[in-house]
Amino acid sequence: MLPFLVRTAWKKLWTLFFISIISFGIIHLAPGQPSQIDPLNPRFTPQQLERYRQAFGLDQPLYVQYARFYQQFFTGELRSFKDNQPVFGKIVERTRNSLPLFILGTILIWCYAFPLGIATAVRRNTLFDRSTTVLVFALISIPGFYLAYLAIIFVVQTFQVDVIGLRTFGREGIGPWYAMMDRTWHLVLPSLMGAAAGIAVLSRYVRSQRLAVISADYVRTARSKGLDEDRVLYRHALRNGLLPFVTMLGLLIPGLIGGSVIFETIFAWPGIGRLGYEAILARDYPVVISINFIAAVLTLIGTLVSDLLYMLVDPRIRL
Amino acid sequence: MSVKQLLILAPTFVSLFLLQSYFWVPTFEDQARGDPGRLTRYIQSSIGDASILNPTLSADSASAAINSLVFEGLIDRDMDLSFRGRLAESWRIFEEAYLVVDGSERLPDGTPATPEGLVRHLERARAAKHPSLRLVERIEVEPAEAVTAELEAEPAAPGKPAKVAQVTLRRPPRLKFTLTEVDQDFFARLDRLLGGYITRLDPRRFLDPALPPALRAQAAELIPPAEHNPVIVFQLRRGVRFHDGHEFDSGDVKFTYETILDPKNLSPRVPDFEPVKSVEPQGPYAVRITYKRLFQPGFESWGMGILPEHRLNREALRKEALALGRDPERFSVRDSRFNRSPIGTGPFRFVEWKTDQYVRLTRNEDYWEGPPNFREFYFRIIPDLLTTELTFYAGTTDEYGAQPHQVSRLRDDPRFKYYSGLALGYSYIGYNMRRPVFQDVRVRKALGMAINVQEIIDYVLYGQAEGTTGPYPRQTDFYDPTVAPLPYDPAGALRLLEEAGYRRNAGGWLQKDGKPLAFTLITNSGNEIRSAIMAIAQNAWRRLGVKVETLALEWAVFINERVDKGDFDAVVLGWSMGLDADLYQIFHSSQTGHFQLNFVGYSNPRADDLMVRIRQEYDPGRQVAMARELHRLIAEDQPYTFLYVGKWTQLFDRKIARLVPGPDGTSRYAPIVTTKLGSPKFHFTQWIKVPHPVDFPVHAAN
Repeated sequence: MLPFLVRTAWKKLWTLFFISIISFGIIHLAPGQPSQIDPLNPRFTPQQLERYRQAFGLDQPLYVQYARFYQQFFTGELRSFKDNQPVFGKIVERTRNSLPLFILGTILIWCYAFPLGIATAVRRNTLFDRSTTVLVFALISIPGFYLAYLAIIFVVQTFQVDVIGLRTFGREGIGPWYAMMDRTWHLVLPSLMGAAAGIAVLSRYVRSQRLAVISADYVRTARSKGLDEDRVLYRHALRNGLLPFVTMLGLLIPGLIGGSVIFETIFAWPGIGRLGYEAILARDYPVVISINFIAAVLTLIGTLVSDLLYMLVDPRIRL
Repeated sequence: MSVKQLLILAPTFVSLFLLQSYFWVPTFEDQARGDPGRLTRYIQSSIGDASILNPTLSADSASAAINSLVFEGLIDRDMDLSFRGRLAESWRIFEEAYLVVDGSERLPDGTPATPEGLVRHLERARAAKHPSLRLVERIEVEPAEAVTAELEAEPAAPGKPAKVAQVTLRRPPRLKFTLTEVDQDFFARLDRLLGGYITRLDPRRFLDPALPPALRAQAAELIPPAEHNPVIVFQLRRGVRFHDGHEFDSGDVKFTYETILDPKNLSPRVPDFEPVKSVEPQGPYAVRITYKRLFQPGFESWGMGILPEHRLNREALRKEALALGRDPERFSVRDSRFNRSPIGTGPFRFVEWKTDQYVRLTRNEDYWEGPPNFREFYFRIIPDLLTTELTFYAGTTDEYGAQPHQVSRLRDDPRFKYYSGLALGYSYIGYNMRRPVFQDVRVRKALGMAINVQEIIDYVLYGQAEGTTGPYPRQTDFYDPTVAPLPYDPAGALRLLEEAGYRRNAGGWLQKDGKPLAFTLITNSGNEIRSAIMAIAQNAWRRLGVKVETLALEWAVFINERVDKGDFDAVVLGWSMGLDADLYQIFHSSQTGHFQLNFVGYSNPRADDLMVRIRQEYDPGRQVAMARELHRLIAEDQPYTFLYVGKWTQLFDRKIARLVPGPDGTSRYAPIVTTKLGSPKFHFTQWIKVPHPVDFPVHAAN
């Protein structure tokens, strides 16, 4: 167990090192300049441009910039080009905003996808199964932003309530219950929209997984023992069928920082996805590279966690 | 509980919990539910975030919107677009004019032109009430003086800065005239009185013969024979305090000017203030501004927000730099934290700025005109156009700029009130007059007559635009309403082209001397309206028999490679204009070089003369007369086909009203009134939201 951990950690550190180089290089390869340098602005003389490049350290050779960047990154001194605020503080704050969206989205996916997947598998080839299949594929193929717009227009026009942002903007000094419910309401649409595709995809997985298990020998054995159908389906079949999904739990972790660029932009949600997106548009290198790096770390941790989880639930596997 | 039950109950419970939260959220009509304070909060939305909250450095509209609430200038525009004092209570504009004395010249009576001789001659004429000296208050003699300046010995080459030489020149004595008002023709009239003395003056005579020839022309410019120095004296408002309690005074005005001109700060406002010679405080409550030359449009730039000197002067910046561990020598106003937490004298004080979320302001209880009715102002960033619209319907923003296609639907909505007006800018098709085909005014006119502008307005802009005949905003006095628009007359257009020598060939195309009338019309890609105009124009011209190709180019290529270098035939573009009469940069024949704005190459000596005189004219009546003449000239020459001015429509919650103090000391609600431009926000400090829409007049409790 311990040797495995050490070995993996060592490997992952190397991977991380290469990721850091690649992500640093790619952002500098992309055309464009940090937002305060606007080459289209006729008032920008070449001297002014040079001054900005110096101020941002962009006139140094790349390897010097790379070393300086990660030195500042690890000492927490890194600041955004755009507003000169500490990058780390920005990322923490935005992640905190994205967190409820992420948690609720995950809850929704797992809450809806399992019953849906199981129900369609059990009632295979019935009208219910077929109509659900159509609906699910519709959800997978309709672009998320389009669905989100439809939903926003429908809700706002019909109920005349706000759905954009963290809470009803400009509403202050209300009781804690009001405030909590207000925030909850504002979570509903974005998390549902974010979860829609996830529900659709996961329920298909669950369905096919269930179909495979239902026709397995040990299920037939259980049935032939005379167990009632519910017990067969939800105890014997479910447990084994859950295995692949346990590993998915670990892979959720990087989603923490990935956020959802599209839905956070549409819903004016000040989350981490929008932070990254706007930083890319403004060529705010410190923010982009930091988010990239943290996402890489989380992905590596996620794979490690899912390995460990798998080991935990499947006694056949020993590392 | 079995697994089956759990699988059914969990989603049901989650769904119910989420859906019930709806009942705790207020609707548009009921925004104040649970929070009466919402009625005292104003929320404005923007697609983009502000970039720098310092009026001397900002160049984007989001920053400008906030700066205009936090800062205040010396003057601004009143309801009727005339100037009104803000931080300045009043002002006086007069002129100081300088005339070089050249002893080698002779006066009309044959005596040498000594300073004393000139003064004696002029005083005699003044006593005789000579009309050329009508405005002269005082004549003084200034002794000869040494002038030191840095001149460019060798122009800058790529990769090599310009070589600079320090030169000291001796300027001969000068006469200083103090005039009661600015008069651009003063020297012309004086010259007649002095028998051509001024015309004969040659500054090169005053130069040291040892000066290298490369520097002579530049040096001569330093000793102008005659010089106009317009002077503005602002009397400042007393007792106005910055948001931190420090009193505003003339030092702040001087400091703001110096901040703009300091090259370290990279201010985009430099061109507005470059013609200023000096800004001198005259005691704490008056400031005297002297200009290097006649430049009437410069007056408006004193609407620029005034910075607090005590927060940004050298000492304060030094302290801040040291506290941040930065090099104080390289630390400029641009680096200061002030730009993210500004302090001004305006009606709202800055509270908080959350990047990409909102900027929050609170009212300035100490505002000299009385505190605004809204207690808080939010500038909310919503990065998406459609959600911007929907937050307005949900009541979480208080204004919305409707798109042209939405106007007819939204203006009848009982929940909102709308205001609309003409934009200051206009759209046009510009013809590159360096191309031989476009040198004939008949061709330009014919092309304009072939386009049905009304069709563009009706179908491309959903009726949300109006025609225009010239370069000035329609609401200003400079626009001459008597200029007739170019008629839509394809048959007449064809006749004009035939007059110009074009005949249809066998293929149906117009040609002259065997050469077909063919050119390319370009615009920038990504602008649907311009692309539509391009297609309409192409279609209209092809029907005449003109071979037109069209091309939409990516913005950077379009501007840098084609327009700025004059490498195009015809172009669809638009200008956004200010409220001043100055068209020098856009139409003067000296502005046709690369990267200058007269890229169509328009040149008309009479128009050139008018443009120079207009920017030098300080008398509004005379300026208007000249501007109208210029409008007529340009309409006659048709360097552009003037298409339309857009109409904007701004929607507001109908619950917004003005709360104004009545004559008896009580407050009452009053309707919103608009300025000459149609803008409703002039009295923004009086705005407030009432719980339910009111009819006027209604008396509110005090």
